[in-house]
Formats: sequence, structure tokens, C-alpha cells
Amino acid sequence: MSPWRLAARRFRRNRPAVRGAAVVLLLALGAVAAPLVTADPLAQPDPVRLQDRPPSLAHPLGTDPFSRDVLSRTLHGARVSLVVGVGAALLAVTLGAGVGLAAGLAGRRTDQLLMRGVDVAIALPRILLLLAVFAVWEDAPAAAVVGLIAATGWFQTSRIVRAAVLSLREADFVVAARAIGAPAAGIVRRHLLPHVAAPVIVSASLDVGNIILLEAGLSYLGLGVRPPTPTWGNMIMDGKDVLLSAPWVALAPGLALVATVVAFNLAADGLRDAFDPRTAA
Amino acid sequence: MLGFVARRLGFAVASVAAVVLITFVLVHAAPGAPMLGSPERTLASPETIARQRALFGLDRPLPEQLLRYAANLARGQLGESFVLHRPVADVLAEALPNTLLLGGVALVASLLLGLVVGATQAARHRSRTDTALGVATLVLYSVPVFWLGLVLLLVFGERLHWLPVSGMTSAGIHDSLSAAGRALDVARHLVLPAASLALVQAAAFARFQRSALVDTLGAAHIRSARAKGLPERAVILRHALRGALAPTITLAGLSVPYFLSGSVLVESIFGWPGLGRVAYDAIFARDYNVITAVALVAGVLVALGNLLADVAVAVADPRVRLSG
Amino acid sequence: MRIGALLAAAALLAGCARGPSASAAGGTLVIATTGDADVLLPPVTSLETGINVSDLLFCRLAELKPGLNTVDDSGFRPVLARSWDHPDSLTIVFHLDPRARWQDGFPVTAADVAFTFRTYVDSAVNAPLAPFLAPIASVAARDSLTVAFRFRRWYPEQLYDATYHMRILPRHLLDTIPAARLATSAFARAPVGDGPYRFTSWRAGAEIAIAADTGWFLGRPGLDRLIWRVTPELPSAVSQLLAGEADAMEVIPSRGQLERVQQSRDVRLVPYPSPFYAGVVFNLRRAPFADRDVRRAIAMAVDRQTVVRSVFGPFADVAVGAVSPMQAVWSDSIRQLPFDTVAAARLLDGRGWRRAAGGLRARDGTPLRFTLLVPTSSQARQQAAVILQDELRRLGVDVRIQPVEFTVMERRTTTGDFDAAFVSRTTDPSPASLLQWWSPGAGANIGGYADPVFESLTAAALRARTRAEAAPRWRSALERLNDEAPAVFLFSPRNEAAVSTRVTGVTIRPDAWLATVAEWRVREPQRAASDRGAARP
Repeated sequence: MSPWRLAARRFRRNRPAVRGAAVVLLLALGAVAAPLVTADPLAQPDPVRLQDRPPSLAHPLGTDPFSRDVLSRTLHGARVSLVVGVGAALLAVTLGAGVGLAAGLAGRRTDQLLMRGVDVAIALPRILLLLAVFAVWEDAPAAAVVGLIAATGWFQTSRIVRAAVLSLREADFVVAARAIGAPAAGIVRRHLLPHVAAPVIVSASLDVGNIILLEAGLSYLGLGVRPPTPTWGNMIMDGKDVLLSAPWVALAPGLALVATVVAFNLAADGLRDAFDPRTAA
Repeated sequence: MLGFVARRLGFAVASVAAVVLITFVLVHAAPGAPMLGSPERTLASPETIARQRALFGLDRPLPEQLLRYAANLARGQLGESFVLHRPVADVLAEALPNTLLLGGVALVASLLLGLVVGATQAARHRSRTDTALGVATLVLYSVPVFWLGLVLLLVFGERLHWLPVSGMTSAGIHDSLSAAGRALDVARHLVLPAASLALVQAAAFARFQRSALVDTLGAAHIRSARAKGLPERAVILRHALRGALAPTITLAGLSVPYFLSGSVLVESIFGWPGLGRVAYDAIFARDYNVITAVALVAGVLVALGNLLADVAVAVADPRVRLSG
Repeated sequence: MRIGALLAAAALLAGCARGPSASAAGGTLVIATTGDADVLLPPVTSLETGINVSDLLFCRLAELKPGLNTVDDSGFRPVLARSWDHPDSLTIVFHLDPRARWQDGFPVTAADVAFTFRTYVDSAVNAPLAPFLAPIASVAARDSLTVAFRFRRWYPEQLYDATYHMRILPRHLLDTIPAARLATSAFARAPVGDGPYRFTSWRAGAEIAIAADTGWFLGRPGLDRLIWRVTPELPSAVSQLLAGEADAMEVIPSRGQLERVQQSRDVRLVPYPSPFYAGVVFNLRRAPFADRDVRRAIAMAVDRQTVVRSVFGPFADVAVGAVSPMQAVWSDSIRQLPFDTVAAARLLDGRGWRRAAGGLRARDGTPLRFTLLVPTSSQARQQAAVILQDELRRLGVDVRIQPVEFTVMERRTTTGDFDAAFVSRTTDPSPASLLQWWSPGAGANIGGYADPVFESLTAAALRARTRAEAAPRWRSALERLNDEAPAVFLFSPRNEAAVSTRVTGVTIRPDAWLATVAEWRVREPQRAASDRGAARP
């Protein structure tokens, strides 16, 4: 059985992981369907009477201080979180894998140069840089948030990939392939990538949860994707002023965040255990 | 070993230099001028603002400003805060100890809690306790630290009135208390913000400790210790934990960025007068010198944390030292 | 209780004035504030808390009485200056009170006054208030207790300009410090003043404490200590107030928090006229705002009552013009544009802006739309902007709301890079502050409004000799502004201070909420731990 099938079977047997993955899928569905199913998250149909209303039939999660429907905004907020979380994680591992591959396959000098750069970059205080950039970049599009979070978070992946590549370089089948003159790209594709794919996938999926929380922190401070576009972070920012009188405004996005990150973490743990049963405990 | 540390130190210095450079360029190239007044009551006319810019040399070209800053830095001068009208060094000197206190207490608390929970889980491997604690750590690990802070504030500060809602000391009373009273006052104010920071990181530590200890507990020398008839607690404490020491230090060192970013969020919620609060205010007021200096300090702290982590790994695994 | 009798015996006076007998005094007032001070030096300090604290540490030559009459001499009360006279139309001579002392024992002299003026206008100090002192040509000490102010021309508010903007500084402590280093000097963070309170301590970002000068020459202040507690988050600040950890807050800006305070039995709301008004200012350099009828139409299409009630409930008033309720010339009988959507539509039709398909108006293919800048720092303005957008859409005008950070809004409005901006103005007691924002060439005239009729009306108002004469002229100027509609003047939030019920004798002067703090008392049986913990001054 191929290692992929094996991993898939182990994943399926892991009940919490499957549940986590199911929630993630559900969330994605909800996020995609949001504009079709719910009201406009920016709409303020009745600014006078609809301010801070508790949950009701018309507004199942109540309304916020700007008289907007909380349920609709929560679902729309999922779009931002998912796009940023998954997008930045994918981009980050792509960047990291690229650098790691280059370092692992290249000559010693290039390898040293790249890895020294990574060592320096790892010490950058990520949150401060992101804060500084987004404080001056008014209303950054989600793409910018994805790009910058990815740009500050690919270092660990590059180390993992480089280590994997290095360990494989001297493996018999690689030496043999080079001996018969197989092109480097082919070697990479056929032998290396499958080997590094597993740790990369695991690394990426473990990252998603953290990135979602990071983006939430940024938008809680009023940075990144700015109001009135709903993100879970800026919904909590709106809700903290009315925490006592209208707790649902901050509670809904907060619970959504926790549920989402838990789901991703469960799925990520499951993936890790599926690829490497030794870590399963 | 010494060579290894020296090399790592070199990286640390290079990182800090990179941090300062990047931050400097970013904030100076940004739109918006340093704020000279509160949002709703700016007394400053455009002429005053223009004069202020000239006085601080902000109308000079960017490379010139950068060189001047670097030269000052080499002399140990961090410049002046535009908004607070005082040397940046003074601002940092007052704020940094408060953040170190908060972060330090939170770090220690999270390490201890994480260790206890992780060890309990490992000892009761695959039992109901293990599962329950596993769920708890997973959920806590997934909570945004600022939301947790708000919830703790709401429950323990507002609703139950058990703990103070904001600040580091009680107004009006603090100075007239005895030394012990003052310490207790600060401690009471420390509980909620430190708990917010610590709980999430404790969950992270617990998850790690659990898997690390489960591995160790299955190892040969542990089995022999059990065979010798030692009580389970002694087995864990004496043998397994010793092996967990180095990785724990590594984790602690690597958690510095988390505590720094958490402090920006938590300090603003709880009004804790620390570096995070200073950074937040400075960024929104475009107080360039303060932002750059905070980036410098943060860079140093992160670099030190990484250094600590690397050294701990090297101590545990000699191969790392050689490949350096 | 003897308290009542003592309080009744105490004369209620404002600010730096005679205080009551010592036995009723005492206690600590903890003030919750969301911002820390910057420095405590009058020419330089710009942040709210810094101004509040230094106002109690340093005195003016004379203080405005609660009526805020800035035109007549009778509107002022002696403080550092015991008396003054006008020997000619360009001079005022102040006679200082010989009892006035700096807190290090030195007397306050005329040389201090002259030094203060030189410092305020020194460009190296870059005092934000310097432009207000432009009409003063010179300040010269005639002898140790006599100082003469010489003005460039005659105008009725000479006394106001001579006394309101400057707080007197100690020459003997500051003249050795170079002007450019004043803001960063040690003195600026631990000042020595001449006011009813002296500086005690400042824990940056946390707390500022000042203590009463019990031997102050105009009488002992009522409270022994004032402590400002910095709590950046507004809900937390209000929580401290409600929990009794703080006693007072200058203003509760958010409706949600106001409702919280209303429900408490330990804290009461004290309303006072606000010095603000907020409105949407048009950039007259940009089409379509160059057209007066378009502006008037927009102003008439907005139901300002609804906007105010929706956003603030009972906690704000509709603005009557470019004037705040604090100013003496405020009156709700000032002529304003009516709310009349029919007339508005007719005006636009008349100017060629016809409704196209979809409801939006256009002229020669150009749609009638603009972008409104709204600062993210003000939730109220964001909410109001949305309602405005809706009402204007019904008129056929497309408004795009752009929330921007405050510093960005500053930059864009000062460089003229905007269509319309939702701004808030803080006014001085003097109606002449109008000119800062609506006079051509004034730096803060962001819309580029230039109107010779308005100029002549304000010039006439500035020449009036008494308030009775000035008031109707200012009113005409304000009505002219309403007619020309360079802005839609929307609301003035009601200022509601929150004060613990254990504090009595509270009155609030609208332009400086702690100006009358000398008469505030803490009730004896309700003295708290913070009062007993007072460090001996």
C-alpha cells in the first residue's frame, strides 16, 4: 500500500481528527455560502431600534452597536479567517519549501548563506513588524495580510525541508539516479517531494490555527482588514465596549474563533499522527 | 561549545541589526505624521506641525535620517519621544521592568502548569483523565489570548469583583502601604493579565510535555526503574523529568515571541503599564523613535530566547554543536 | 452634622479663588482618565490629562467667571493679578498680588510674566497656543509687581487674550534652560508651580498625584489630593468608577457606558455644556461643492434630529451652527437651514443634477457622488455617517464612507486631499475662535471657505465693545455660515461627567472641568481608604 493510502487510513480511524476535519469543511461551506444565506453584514436597516439587540428570531445572534446582524457578520468573518489562515499557511510552506529545497540541493556556500539568513530572520519579532506595517497601511486587502504573514512565517518549514533533503541526498536511489544522469528536476519531483511532502503538509496544517489567531489579534487592534468589513477580531473589538450590556457581540466571534482553531488543530494533529504513527500517543 | 555560542551570538547581533533597519525604514516611509495632541483636541496648526517636523529632523531624506539614527545608536542614544517629550531610554526603562515582571511570572506559571498537566497526562496515559485534560489543553491552546483576557476581566473583575480591573497598583493607597503591602497590591493586579498569558502557553507546554514524557516513560531506563519497584511518582520526578529539562528550556526560549505579542494585547486590556502598551500607543501616534527602540528591545529579547533555546538543544545533542 | 453648616458657610468660588475654612477640607479625589499626560509644562503640554494637571499647578493672571463672558472686563476674576487697568486703547497694566508665591518660596513677579510671554512666542518652544498671542506686541515689567501688555491694535477681547492662553511660568527656575530643551527638561516632568496644588509624583502610564497647598494665598483648596489614574480602555475606566476605585471622570463619551453609569447608585452624571461641535465639512475646491446650491441641498436633505437621536439618544444636541453650547453666543434661535427634502431636490434639479436610472443624480454624465472621510476613533461619527449616507441616497447623492485612522485624516484634511470630512471641533470660550476654521488663509480652514460677507460680519463683531453689542453681530456671522453651508453642522455631544456620590459641591465650568475643584468636598462619613492614605504634603 502506498504511504499516502496508509496515512489516509490512519487518519480516517482517528475519530477526533475526522471530526475536526468535518468542522473545517462545514466552516468552509458556511463561509462560501454566507452571502447567499445571510443578510448583508454591512447593512444597518434600522440604526435607531436595532442597536445591541439580544438574540431573537429575526437576528439569531443579536445585533451589534452599529445595528448589524451578528450572525451574518460572524459567517462573513469566517471568510477572512479561512482565506488568511489557509492562504498564508500554504504560501508560507511554499516559500519555506522553496528555500529549503534550494539550500538542500545547492552547494555548501549557497546552503550556508541561505541558512544564515534564515537564522537571522527567525529572530525577527513577527508581531512588531506586522503591527508596524499594518498600522500605516490603512485598509490592507486580505491578500496583503496573507502575503505579509506568510513572509514572516516560513522559516521553520525551510529548516524542515532542508533537513529532509539533506538526509535524502546521500540515499542510494538518489545517488543512482544522478549517476545515470537523471535531470535534477525529475529527481526532485519523483523522489524528494513525496518524502518532504508529509512534514510540509503537517507543518502547514499546524500553522493554520496560529495564523488565524494572529490575524484575529491584528484585527482586534484595528489593523489589517479594517472595519466595516467583518473579521472575528474586529468584531471582538466592537464588542468589548458593550461586553457587559451586549455580551453576544464579542461572544459569537470569540466562540467561532475557538471552534475553528480547535477544529484545525484536531485535523492537524490527526494528519501528523497519520503520517508518523510514532508520534501518536 | 564556546565556538557554537559565539556563532549564535553573532547571528543574534545580525538579527537585531536587521530588525532595527527594517522597522526604521517601515515607520519612516509610512504616511501620517507623529501625533501632536489628542485626537479630539489638537491645538496644533499645520505651521506648528511643520515646525515640529523640522525641529526633529523629520524633513530630511530617509537615508540621512537612518545614518544619523545609527550613529546615535552606536553612542547608546535612543533618541526622544515626539509625543511624550522625553528620552526614549527613560520610557523604556520604566516600561520594560513591568513587562518583564508580567511576562516572567506568566512564563514560570505556564511552565509549571504545563509540566504538571503534561506529566499527569503522561502518567495516566490513555485514561479518562488524560482525555479530559487533552481536550482542555486543546481548547485553551486554541483560544485567542485577548479574548481570554476579556472573559477573565468580565468574570473575575466586573461580575465577581474578586480582582482589580485595571492597572498595576491601587490609586491613592499604594504609596502608603508597607513594602509587603505594596508587593501584595501589585500581585493582585498581576493575577488576571498573567493568567491570560499563562493559560494559553501552559496548554502548549502541556501538549508538548505529554508527548515528550510518554516517549521517555516508555524508554528502557524508566522500565528498569519501575522494575526496581520505585513508586510511579519517583519514576516520573527523578528520571523522566530530567530528560525533559533541556527541551523545556528550548520551549521557554522559543516562547518569547508569543509572550511579547501577547503582552501588546493583554497590557492594553488590563491597562498594565508595560512595553506592549508603549508599543501600541507609539505605533498609532507614529512616534518613530519609540517604535524603533521597542523593535530593538523586542529583537534582543527574541534573539536571547532563541539563543537560550539553541544552547539547550546543543547541550542535549552534541551533533548540533558540530554542525553549528 | 457639622458638614452641612460648614458647606453652607463656604463661599462657592471658581478656580484659583478663595477657598472655605480648613476644617471642611480634606480627602482624595481619584480621577479615571484614558490617556496619560505628555508633559506638565503649560506652553508645551498638548494631551488632555497633561492640560488638566498643569492647569491646577500653574495660575493665570485672571480667570473667567462661570458665565464665560470673554468680552467685558466684568467677566474676569483676579488671580495672580489683583487688579488691572487700561491706560490707553493699546495697553493693559496688571498689578500682581504680592501674596502670590512659587512653591519653592520665591514671589511671583512681573519678570515671570514677561518671561512667560517670551517663552510662549518663542518658535524654538513651538507652543501650539502661540498664534493666539499674535495680537500682543510686547509684555514689559515696569516694576516687580507691575507688568504692561502692549497690543498691536484695539479690540474688545484684549483682556481675554492677555489672560486666558498663558499660565505664568517661574523665570528663576526656567531661564537657564534653552528654549528648545524646555519640553524635555526635568522640570517639565516634576514642575514647581504657584497654584492651589503642588506636584507630588508621576508614575508614567499609571498615575499622577498632586497635593493641596494648604497655605495658598487665595485659600486652601477643598480636597487634599488629586490622583489621575490612567486606564486606557474606556469600559475598564468606567468599571473602576462603578467599583469605587475611582471617583470622577471628565466625560463619558459612549452611550453604552452612560447607560451603565445611570444604573449605578454610587455614581451620578453631571451634565455640562460641551465645547464641541461636529459636522461634515466640504472641500470647496472640489466640484460639486464649489456650487453653493449643491451644498445647501445636501444640508437640507439631512434630518439632523433623527441622526442625533439615533446615535446619541438623549445625550447630544443638534448643532445650531459653527458654535458649541459652551460659547455664550450659542442660541437655538439662530437661523438654520430647514430639513426639507422637497426643496433640496428642487435645488439640485435647478442646478442640472437630474435623477438618472437607478435613482442617482447626474449632470452631463457625471454622477453626483463624493467620499466622506470618517475617523475610526469615533464610533458616534461612524454611526452618524451611515445614517447620513442613507438619507442622501434618497436625495440621489451617492456617498461613499471611508473610515480612516485619525492621523491619516489629519494629513489628508490639512493637505486638501479629501471631498468631505466628518470632523469635530473644540471651541474656546471666545466666539472669535470661529475664525480659526472659517477665515480664508487660516491653517485649519480645511475646506477653503472664503467669503467677503462673512469676513465683514466677523470684523464688525470683533469691533464691538461689549458683549451686548457683540452677540448679535456674531449671530449674523453664524447665520451667514449656515446659509452658505460650507459644512453640515450636525451635533454637539452633551458632556456628562461622572462623579461619585461621596463628592459634594460639584460644579463644572464647561471649558475646563476641574476649574472649580477647589470647592469640591468629600463627605466626612464616606471618606475612603484612599483618603486616609494621603501622604502628608
